Amino acid sequence: MSKFKVCMLGAFAVGKTSLVQRYVHSLFSDRYQTTLGVRIDKKSLRLAERPIEVILWDLAGEDDFINVRGSYLRGSAGGVLVADGTRAETLDIVFKLKDKLFHEVGEVPVILIVNKSDLRDNWTIEAQRIEALRDEGWQVIETSAKDSSNVDQAFESLAEQMLVSLS
Amino acid sequence: MSAYPETVVDKILEVTLRSNKFAYFAIDENGRLFRQGGEIAATGFPQWKPGQSILDDALFLSGYVPMSRDYECIESYQAGDDSIFDVHLFKDQEQIWILLIDKTSDMEWESAARQQANELRLLKQQAAQAGSVGDQDSDPHTHFDFFESRLNMMALSANDDGSFARLEPVSERFKRLYPESTESARALYPQQKFPFVENFLIDAAEVWQAGDDKRRVRSGPWVETDGNTEVALEAIALNWKGSKLLFLEILDESYRLNQSFLQIGREGVLLNRVLEDEVRKQTREIRAREEEIALRLVCAADSRDDGETGSHIRRLGLYSELIAQQLGWSNADAEEIRIAAPMHDIGKIGIPDHILKKPGQLTESEFEIMKLHPEIGGRILSNSETPLVQMARDICLGHHEKWDGSGYPHGLAGENIPISARIVAIVDVFDALIHKRVYKNEMPVDEAIALMLEGSGSHFDPDLLDLFLSLKEKLTEIAFDYSNPIGDDLTRAASIIDDIHLLRPGD
Repeated sequence: MSKFKVCMLGAFAVGKTSLVQRYVHSLFSDRYQTTLGVRIDKKSLRLAERPIEVILWDLAGEDDFINVRGSYLRGSAGGVLVADGTRAETLDIVFKLKDKLFHEVGEVPVILIVNKSDLRDNWTIEAQRIEALRDEGWQVIETSAKDSSNVDQAFESLAEQMLVSLS
Repeated sequence: MSAYPETVVDKILEVTLRSNKFAYFAIDENGRLFRQGGEIAATGFPQWKPGQSILDDALFLSGYVPMSRDYECIESYQAGDDSIFDVHLFKDQEQIWILLIDKTSDMEWESAARQQANELRLLKQQAAQAGSVGDQDSDPHTHFDFFESRLNMMALSANDDGSFARLEPVSERFKRLYPESTESARALYPQQKFPFVENFLIDAAEVWQAGDDKRRVRSGPWVETDGNTEVALEAIALNWKGSKLLFLEILDESYRLNQSFLQIGREGVLLNRVLEDEVRKQTREIRAREEEIALRLVCAADSRDDGETGSHIRRLGLYSELIAQQLGWSNADAEEIRIAAPMHDIGKIGIPDHILKKPGQLTESEFEIMKLHPEIGGRILSNSETPLVQMARDICLGHHEKWDGSGYPHGLAGENIPISARIVAIVDVFDALIHKRVYKNEMPVDEAIALMLEGSGSHFDPDLLDLFLSLKEKLTEIAFDYSNPIGDDLTRAASIIDDIHLLRPGD
């Protein structure tokens, strides 16, 4: 079985842990619980008849208090970069973390998740900005860990990219 | 047969809560068994049958039965099979209740704990003697203090083949977390159990290869989850007298404490952000309300001048804001000029209708009266401490001044004219030229620009005019394409006010 290490990266409180909880355990809690260090979770799936295991490294959100350790990114086969649609500034942190990831492991497949689509009325990341990112080649997926929309698709899309890059 | 004595029930409850196995037996004063129960009664003491005396077999009871006191306790009684019991004896009327609590696992755990603590205390003393670096992360004391007290750590020694050997007995918590670790005969591979450790071993290898007893590296915390439970851990790698040691520590309280500190800090940041957003939203709403009131009042004042429309004053504000932004003004100042610029002609409220609405050219004396409107506006807006109104006053007074000093009312020249007024002087002329009025047709933008350039350095501030012209595309967009429902509404409002004037011709 192929194993892929995937790092969840983003500012704090963008919903990284909630996305993992939703994807792996089909759970969601409205309560914000900050992550300290790294949370490790695993998800087994089949893609194109191949069994694979995704080991999700849910890293503590980057902010003034916490910097993501470069060593945690080592060996990553892909990255899930997460921004919060209601906090436009979290997109800037995503770009910084993508650079950090690529610096550590090279240009591995990444997806950009703009989370909290259930709060779309409060989004400060504008649709034009997202379109511009897509035009630049980013794969942007708008998700909601709360109502589960697009969560599975986001992770599976990344898994497919990782399989392609492996072959 | 009476019910169970309360003292026995209490004790059974207590041991049940602590997950200790137990057995109870009720005998009479001759040692005859008449009641028994508990998890290990049948398995641990199958030879004890009801109706028979157990005194010959239960040697630990000798000297205690018959009981002279209501309660006796024999601590840590070691049975023949090496199992260890606490024995509690309760006297209840003619009966004696014997409660055997299996303490074997506790004793093993305590023994291991004592051994680990002693070994680690020794390590600590030796590490302290070898000297430690100042960095708290590398302080050997911090590695071992919690170990002694909580035994939440597993110590492993790295073998050259990538496997690990366990150094001490495994604590109960590690047995649950890492069941393979109890199989002492086998080499352990924590890197296979914990992906995080696999990653950490790269850092650990650097320390081990250095072979320096003073060097150590901590992994930082990580959380293992299995869906139901979560355990926070940290790995530490260090050398000790040629051994490559790996410690895995369950963090418990220290993790929760640090997590709660971080949580409080982050929740504070999020709360501040929510409050800031709310303040910004409220401020925007207040600003929008102020702007609309100002525009409607200005439109009412200007409604007597057939040439002006709500759209015109709206555009004037937008042109001015654009220039201000290009000049690098703050957002707040740029917003202020957007609201203040439309008030530039508010002084026309004091000009009589027969002059203001005269269809033909004004006489010299009529023009002198018309030239009073900047000062009338200035007086209307004077003595305010509000920056917005002060700016509107500057604009009112200064928008007919000219760069060369030939304007009115005060003949100010150059930078003596407030910049807000110099901006509005330019945009007012531009918008008037390119739009149709009752007394003139609209002029093409390029023609208007050419005409304005003739006034550069005489009528208009040349630098500002250059900046203005560099924005031609955006200005033209505002002039023709800008959808402006407020402007339309204002025009309608002006029309209503005109109707009122018609109904009240004496005003």
